Amino acid sequence: MSETTFMGVERDKIDWKPAIDYGKCNFCMECVKFCPHKVFEVNENDEIRLIVRNPNNCVVFCRACSKTCGPDAITFPDKNATTQKIKEMRKEGNNG
Amino acid sequence: MVENYAILPCNGLDKCAGVISGEIAVKLCESGKNTIICPVFSKIADAKYRKITDEHPLLVIDGCATRCASKIAAEKNYRIFRKITVTEEAKRHHIELKDNLRLLEDDNSLVEIIVDGFSDAGGMAAGVSEESGFSFEFEYETFQKDKFIFRVPRNTSVYFNENDCWAYVIGNRARIGVTDFVQQNLSDILYFIPPEIGAIISQFDAAGEIESSKALVDIISPVSGMVVSINEMLVQKPELINENPYESGWIAELELTDFESDKELLIGFDKYFELMKKKVEG
Repeated sequence: MSETTFMGVERDKIDWKPAIDYGKCNFCMECVKFCPHKVFEVNENDEIRLIVRNPNNCVVFCRACSKTCGPDAITFPDKNATTQKIKEMRKEGNNG
Repeated sequence: MVENYAILPCNGLDKCAGVISGEIAVKLCESGKNTIICPVFSKIADAKYRKITDEHPLLVIDGCATRCASKIAAEKNYRIFRKITVTEEAKRHHIELKDNLRLLEDDNSLVEIIVDGFSDAGGMAAGVSEESGFSFEFEYETFQKDKFIFRVPRNTSVYFNENDCWAYVIGNRARIGVTDFVQQNLSDILYFIPPEIGAIISQFDAAGEIESSKALVDIISPVSGMVVSINEMLVQKPELINENPYESGWIAELELTDFESDKELLIGFDKYFELMKKKVEG
């Protein structure tokens, strides 16, 4: 399901991924169970057991995992800023 | 005020309701930048009105239940955006229409009530029965993967975002929903959380959620605007989204605020169909 481009812009140039606030996260792993795109990874033996492993798999503008997070530990970038940035990159691409 | 509409009144000269429909059209043209389509002339001069109806939302004013104006619109394949019927409005406002062909005091009052109704914010026409002009008679292109069939409507007024949501745009309104890709992935949809009526949504904001036993997804709005109605049927029967997410399974209707800008990040049928095929093939 992961696409290499989104709206004509290379996916890795778009800053859209979940950020985990480890001060709030209780490692319930609901987000891991929820996300079908394997954005998160669990490392049971590490001190920080949950990380964002594949940020580019995250569907741009999807925030659904944050709704499954009881302690409200997941945040996303500002959507309007991301939209604006995508528009700018598309223009640059067209001009280049 | 209703502005930039094409107005097709019944204008039947042998009935009071017909004369009233013509009067309403004239008043709306006097008070806004609207254009009347003459129902008689339209029968013989199709080209004159084709451009107008292609470029402007169409308001149909039927006089009575015979709905001649609606039938002309259907015959000409005009897309109706809104319509009212004078006799129904008269009943609603307890005004009795008689056989007179020149307007009397009560008839003029009805004209005023209806025209004033169109003056409400955003042309919402409170007090005027509103029948949506979104007709869903899409032609679909289909793509099959195993037992799953994915349809995409072939219609130049339907736009898509890459989040698998669509917007069907007519004039300054759009209906939005999800595509077959979403409903097939979710499987049986069990729950629908609609957006709030009156909510201001910007492009790519969530406009409600749908949930199945497999997952929950945000409906990511392809367009910016104010939510003016939701598909209330879905609250009781969210499975309508599985049945047809483009027709009975539409999600919400928005009054658009910045469609020219929104369009920059939307795609049409050709691109979306290819994108969806890629996603299906994984």
